[in-house]
Amino acid sequence: MSAGDVLILNEVSKAYDGRVSMLDRLFGRKAKSLQAVREVSFSIRKGEVMGLVGESGCGKSTIARIAAGLMAPTGGEIGHPGRLRQQMIFQDPFSSLNPRWRVHDIVAEPIRTHGLRPKQEVSARVAELLTQVGLSEADGAKFPQAFSGGQRQRISIARALAGEPDFLILDEPTSALDVSVQAQILDLLRDLQARLNLTSLFITHNLPVVRLMADRIGVVYLGELVELAPTSAIFEHPRHPYTRLLIDAAPDLDAEDRSLHPIPGELPDPSDPPSGCVFRTRCLFATDRCASERPKLRKIGPGEVRCHYDLDLTGRELVA
Amino acid sequence: MKSFLEALRGQPGPIAATAFILLLVLYAFTVPLFTADPFSMAGMSILDAFTPPLWMDGGQTAMPLGADDQGRNLLTAMAYGLRTSIMVGVISVVIGLVLGGALGLISGFVGGRTDALIMRLADVQLAYPALLLAMVIDAIATAVLGRGRSNEMAIAIVIVSIGIAFWVQYARTIRSSVMIERNQEYVAAARVTGRSNTAILVKHILPNVMAPVLVIATINLGIAIITEATLSFLGIGIPATYPSLGSLIRNGNAYLQSGEWWISLWPCLVLVVLVVAVNVLGDHLRDHFNPKIRGRS
Amino acid sequence: MTAPLLEVRDLSVTLARGGDELPVLDKVSFDIAPGEVLGVVGESGAGKSMAGVAIIDLLVPPLRRSGGTITLGGERLDLLTPRQMRRVRGKRIGFVFQDPMTSLNPVLTIGRQLTDTMRRHLPLSRNEARERAIAWLTRTGLPNPARVFAAAPHELSGGQRQRVVIALALCAEPDLVIADEPTTALDVSVQAHMLQLLRDLHEETGTAMMLITHDLGVIAKMADRVAVFYAGRLIETARTEMLIARPLHPYTAGLMQATPALDAAGVMRVKAIPGSMPGLGATPPGCAFHPRCNRSRDLCRQVTPPLADAGGHAAACHFPLRQEVA
Ligand SMILES: Nc1ncnc2c1ncn2[C@@H]1O[C@H](COP(=O)(O)OP(=O)(O)O)[C@@H](O)[C@H]1O
Ligand SMILES: Nc1ncnc2c1ncn2[C@@H]1O[C@H](COP(=O)(O)OP(=O)(O)O)[C@@H](O)[C@H]1O
Ligand SMILES: [Mg+2]
Ligand SMILES: [Mg+2]
Repeated sequence: MSAGDVLILNEVSKAYDGRVSMLDRLFGRKAKSLQAVREVSFSIRKGEVMGLVGESGCGKSTIARIAAGLMAPTGGEIGHPGRLRQQMIFQDPFSSLNPRWRVHDIVAEPIRTHGLRPKQEVSARVAELLTQVGLSEADGAKFPQAFSGGQRQRISIARALAGEPDFLILDEPTSALDVSVQAQILDLLRDLQARLNLTSLFITHNLPVVRLMADRIGVVYLGELVELAPTSAIFEHPRHPYTRLLIDAAPDLDAEDRSLHPIPGELPDPSDPPSGCVFRTRCLFATDRCASERPKLRKIGPGEVRCHYDLDLTGRELVA
Repeated sequence: MKSFLEALRGQPGPIAATAFILLLVLYAFTVPLFTADPFSMAGMSILDAFTPPLWMDGGQTAMPLGADDQGRNLLTAMAYGLRTSIMVGVISVVIGLVLGGALGLISGFVGGRTDALIMRLADVQLAYPALLLAMVIDAIATAVLGRGRSNEMAIAIVIVSIGIAFWVQYARTIRSSVMIERNQEYVAAARVTGRSNTAILVKHILPNVMAPVLVIATINLGIAIITEATLSFLGIGIPATYPSLGSLIRNGNAYLQSGEWWISLWPCLVLVVLVVAVNVLGDHLRDHFNPKIRGRS
Repeated sequence: MTAPLLEVRDLSVTLARGGDELPVLDKVSFDIAPGEVLGVVGESGAGKSMAGVAIIDLLVPPLRRSGGTITLGGERLDLLTPRQMRRVRGKRIGFVFQDPMTSLNPVLTIGRQLTDTMRRHLPLSRNEARERAIAWLTRTGLPNPARVFAAAPHELSGGQRQRVVIALALCAEPDLVIADEPTTALDVSVQAHMLQLLRDLHEETGTAMMLITHDLGVIAKMADRVAVFYAGRLIETARTEMLIARPLHPYTAGLMQATPALDAAGVMRVKAIPGSMPGLGATPPGCAFHPRCNRSRDLCRQVTPPLADAGGHAAACHFPLRQEVA
């Protein structure tokens, strides 16, 4: 936790109350609460892109919403020393823009809210931002419905930049897009990143994408941060078996080697997670200790890992 | 407005309905500019009482549709009556819309206990249809203010009763739309930007939940006009000494037996044409703006 | 070469809009050999799904097949009556859609749906059908097949449902399975399971497969041959290894570079194709890709390039990439 930290999450947890219907209540059924995030700790340094990867339902969006201040954690603390403004870019290009607002007003909203420019300069600034994300000034007069998914994500990016954020949260910004459109958006984000030196939290379930974008990566499984390390270390020397399996699971473009690497087993019910280590039901190295004792996030090498053992999984074939 | 015109394109029924509505509004609001109020001493001449329509024996060119028992020219009297009916209808719908809209917005956005309270209130309200509610309010007003009250007061009571009777529908519709909209990501984006709850509710959510209630309001306009006419006909709405379609019909009702049919018939016809036109338009708008029927593209 | 199982020739599909007939598929031709996996790839809106739907004759207005022939095992499918076509669907061609819920009846048990499908197409008694259904569920790797047999679709997880849909598509032992984005809605770990399952079943039953996806990674692992679609046209087709090692069409090459991957130096790279695919009715004259192509010349703007075959590798490009290498 250095002075340059923009966001600090300390043992943050979030439990959702289960919904109980009238009928359930009649039958005396209790609400089943769901621990969506469990004791997640990390901090983001100024100018850094921190990535979070994990499968759907593992709690990435919940962490994003807590980091953005959209919801309060049910445990732990969140701090943002010296942070002034934040912005967020969402996954769904359709629901993240108000369909009744013109693009110009959408992009101008953060500028007006924070009074970032004098009134008469707002329009010029909006035009500048639209051009910066590859749209035109004339697009400002249109409604979001007139745009494709990729163009809408550009509008979202323009809106986020308009707020001149000290910290940007991107929750699966390209997951709803085609590869070719995704490539355009990633290009744009990388370009902006380099020019504006943004500090950001980049969330995705796509490993190649996070490898491209992030300086440091956190791997999330069933609400827990199982590994946290610099990008090169995560990919070259993964320490957690789940990280290794996740890296291998995505099919690459190599048509000569056609082997597939499914992660053994199925995802446990998140409302009834395994005892001890959450990953043990699918882990090839699991021992009795893993069932009885929950591993702590420990420092190994340049990163941290939530595993009892010092596994070196470099280049290792994990599929039986 | 543009989308309204778009909704009408190539639809003869709704276009005709709109034309009828515009004609009637023009009639109701221009005739009173040139004529004396037939419900004032200047506007009636007792000598002309029961003048039949032009094409019957004893008809007069000055009173093409005939006159009533007080010698009021029906063509002018109906314009005054129609004006009252339209105003009562529109104002009461606006009252219902504002009241129901505000309660629905709060209910859907705040949720929890506030929501539960407002919705229980709505359930209670639904037990009182407009007619019953008007009678209750009328009775209370009589008890508080005594018998001799002004026409304006009577009209206000009718408007408020009808307005209150309709808020539930607006509130429920808006509430359910708000509950969907508040979870949309554009709302989260506005929150992250730092906008207040009020700004989010008014600037972001409100524009997205208005379309369906505006359509309901059109349909309710017809019902409101009918309700006013019914109340006035029953004698608990607008008094017989003040022009409204309902009070005109009521006046004429007494003479139907004795053969002076025109006194009731013309106001009845105008009422039917107005309400049917409003309903045709309302139904069309509902279908046009309902994504389930229209299919999203 | 063996005779193809499926022969599609000049298949055209149009969409009626405001008095116009907009081309959704423009004279698309391809073959699938018995037991072969044809991967169909392209960005969304390229017409991949329409090709699959047109083959099984499930287009609904305003879409219609406006030309071309479809031959399955020597029989002209495009000449069949709707009644005869119903016997082809399910029995000779099975299909798997992206959203498992659309192919499952929410009110019938999984077992009922499997036995019904099998008995409609195969001469089986109730008990035989039941036994086979459980055998199929076992083959798809579902834990506790007897429980799944009695379960309703909503009682299963997304991944389990997709397994059931795959069993449903294969249980009548069709000659061809059309799988439209069968893994797109799934997470990487589940996706790998599902691809493994499709591969295992394909190897066991020897059925041919048309695998529609926008993910080149899936193509690389699964397909014997690839057909690349762009703006309703088939613009390149080749054996998978050949196509990936040396794409001829600039669009195919662009699509590969747009997929984040490690370069020779082990650095993650992505390179976007500028612009976007033309929408329906907005296809430019000449080559549909020319406005986005950095190799385009006057010829590309004027003449639509034909799909030119060169030793089993065909591309619709006036200036294919290999010319420079050669
Ligand atoms: N509002 C909510 N109420 C109850 N459960 C929720 C809610 N939001 C998410 N969850 C559950 O919390 C878990 C984590 O969800 P989420 O953070 O959205 O994951 P991700 O973004 O990684 O897909 C999931 O099991 C999800 O079903
Ligand atoms: N029912 C429909 N109405 C209008 N357009 C349609 C319809 N179905 C498909 N299309 C259009 O046809 C084109 C091809 O669609 P599709 O085959 O689904 O693409 P893909 O599967 O490659 O993503 C797209 O431009 C799409 O918009
Ligand atoms: Mg999420
Ligand atoms: Mg498709």
